[in-house]
Amino acid sequence: MILLAGAGAVGMLAGRPARPSLRFSASAATPAEQVTFNRDIAPIIFQSCTACHRPGEAAPFSLLNYADVKKHARQIVDVTQSRAMPPWLPEPQKLKFADELRLADAEINLIQRWVEQGEIEGDPADLRAQPRWVAGWQLGKPDLVLTANKPLSLPPSGTDTYWNFIFPVPIPETRWVRAIEIRPGDKRYVHHANILVDREASSRQREAEPGAGFGGMEIRIESQVFDPDSHLLFWKPGTVPYVEPEGMALRLDKGTDLILNTHLQPSGKPEVIQPSIGLYFTPHPATRLPMLLQLENDVKLDIPPGQKDFVVTDDFTLPIDVELLAIYPHAHYLGKDIQAFATLPDGAKETLIHIPQWNLNWQAVYRYAEPVRLPSGTKLSLRYLYDNSDENPLNPNHPPARVRGGNRSSDEMCHLWLQVLPVNFDSAQGDPRMALQEALARHNVEKNPGDFEAHYNLAAMLQARDKLDAAIKEYELAVRLRPDDATGNNALGAAFVAAEHSSQAVGYLQTALKTRPDYFDARYNLGLALAGQSDFRGAAEQFRLALQLQPQDANVEANLGAALAQLGQLPEAKSHLERALEIDPKQPIAKENLGALQKEMNSH
Amino acid sequence: MIPALVACLGLAGAQQTGLDLDDRIVNPLTADPGKIVVLVFLRRDCPVSSRYAPVIQQISKQFSGRATFWLVYPDKSDSPQAIRKYLQDYGYHLPALRDPDHELVKLGRAQITPEVAVFDRAHQLIYDGRIDDWYVELSRARSAPTTHELSDAVGAALAGKTVATSEVRGVGCYISDLE
Repeated sequence: MILLAGAGAVGMLAGRPARPSLRFSASAATPAEQVTFNRDIAPIIFQSCTACHRPGEAAPFSLLNYADVKKHARQIVDVTQSRAMPPWLPEPQKLKFADELRLADAEINLIQRWVEQGEIEGDPADLRAQPRWVAGWQLGKPDLVLTANKPLSLPPSGTDTYWNFIFPVPIPETRWVRAIEIRPGDKRYVHHANILVDREASSRQREAEPGAGFGGMEIRIESQVFDPDSHLLFWKPGTVPYVEPEGMALRLDKGTDLILNTHLQPSGKPEVIQPSIGLYFTPHPATRLPMLLQLENDVKLDIPPGQKDFVVTDDFTLPIDVELLAIYPHAHYLGKDIQAFATLPDGAKETLIHIPQWNLNWQAVYRYAEPVRLPSGTKLSLRYLYDNSDENPLNPNHPPARVRGGNRSSDEMCHLWLQVLPVNFDSAQGDPRMALQEALARHNVEKNPGDFEAHYNLAAMLQARDKLDAAIKEYELAVRLRPDDATGNNALGAAFVAAEHSSQAVGYLQTALKTRPDYFDARYNLGLALAGQSDFRGAAEQFRLALQLQPQDANVEANLGAALAQLGQLPEAKSHLERALEIDPKQPIAKENLGALQKEMNSH
Repeated sequence: MIPALVACLGLAGAQQTGLDLDDRIVNPLTADPGKIVVLVFLRRDCPVSSRYAPVIQQISKQFSGRATFWLVYPDKSDSPQAIRKYLQDYGYHLPALRDPDHELVKLGRAQITPEVAVFDRAHQLIYDGRIDDWYVELSRARSAPTTHELSDAVGAALAGKTVATSEVRGVGCYISDLE
């Protein structure tokens, strides 16, 4: 920023523009070389600046005309030369990104020459029309607009705020979304925002009161079934709403919540932030299913104070052919040099992204101009460098302190999301994303052998792929790490039941219930395990207890009916089977057993 | 160097006034005799200037009764009405001056917003430049500043000591971009 050397005396001279960085000699300028706003500068500004620098958008002032630009001319020279503006972090590379917001060197030089020559406006006839700017929703009126229940009051000062707004989606049935436009409230104070899809409304429990939202920089959404995240739903200043390609709509089911994770920066005065989300539907369900693949190595983040060049890497080899569609690197304030690359099976190395000067404030999702083909066997690598010295001005600790991986902004992170689309697969073999997910889960176990969740997730993935024996082994490793964990013991017990080893299931399910007596799943599974050992009295008792926890469960009613039938208590069995069919007329166990029971009762 | 100093002396003798929000001419150095005077140069369209509002308020409060703080707006297109609204929005309780001809800018050697000029009781400029080192560059701010040039300078002036640093340029928006 500081252009003036020995500024003390020079600055005293009234009205003389002090620009010692001039290289262009005024005497050499001929009319042909004269740079004018109307002919030379306006097209650059309109193309690369005005989308944000206009009323209602994210930038602090407008750049719509000669007077606006002249009022910030030297600043524009500075920020374009330092490439702080337009905000675009990646270095140029072979694999091109869509909507690249990087000025050419020639454009930067032109702006500098214009200022050196005295900011000449030029011939009005040279001024071409601005792009037609759209006010409000960029894609037109959305099919459904969701507005945050409760606005957030942002204080005038203090550290950055990370806040999550929950948007329940009021749809009576599954809809397909071709685009989501995020309007984050006053765009000037929102640095970025991410949408996470919460299919089981699991985040609501984090709100102090319904609709209030909740704080936190990094959030995780729990999921019970294999339903991998597939879309990067991201907003930063200047983001053009993204319309998903044909066949890649996002599925939204009844009961789904959208969580808007925002990074807000105090402005100096109190602000009220009330975001809204516009949904654009399509009648066409998704036919191509991408998946988000995460490289990370947070466990390696333990950065000693003062260390300038702490490197963390992660490598993952693709088990299937994919197309890479988009990339989203993420680190916090110590992140400095961020790189990801692919090593193809033939050994060729391709840079996927390189950000030499990481800046959390300008983090973004980068979409490739063309999908990047990555064959099975390609090694994906991340290499992040962290600076925990005092030379890193963004270091949250002064003096520097030991920093480890974690979710708070003063912790550090080493994450890289890749949106990939499986290609060249045999659909008869099932969802190709499962192979990818299993490989990721295995990789995660290798990196974190002492981590309960890593083993648990791999086990769940193996079970989903009908690899029961392997799943049992992983659940056993998980339970060994947390012997009293209710979820782990229940899952292991359930896997034994599924593998028809009921006798081995009972002990784990009892442990789960010892930890959590009101654990419906464990109660139900214990009933099944006892029934599998022909202990129908014990089974009936567990099913009755399960019914106290969830009286409207058709499966429990059906199984209780079946157990009672085995015990010869036919009238009571009948009433439970009938009750099961009341709750769910299609309940198969109840249907089958009721038929058999009628025959049995008739024959007596 | 020498011609510049001559120009400086000449200027110091000429004008040292701004316009208050009722368009009265005010000399901030003589308006409140016997006090340390701080000029704070701000642009309403400069986000760095604006983010400093709570900091400026807080430091002025810290030296309340001992130093007089003036907010100075060098953008000649700023109307008194617009400045009044800005003061209200940002919760300022400090007097504001317009400086359309940049007389106070020259007096306080300001180049960037936000920057400050600190004058001792004898009206000598003892410090000009940034408030602190919160901002490293336009898009990079520390979580908290590690130096406090403005407070240090006012403190030194009150104690009758020489300031350790008489000048550190600020990060923000150029005043020279304003005509």
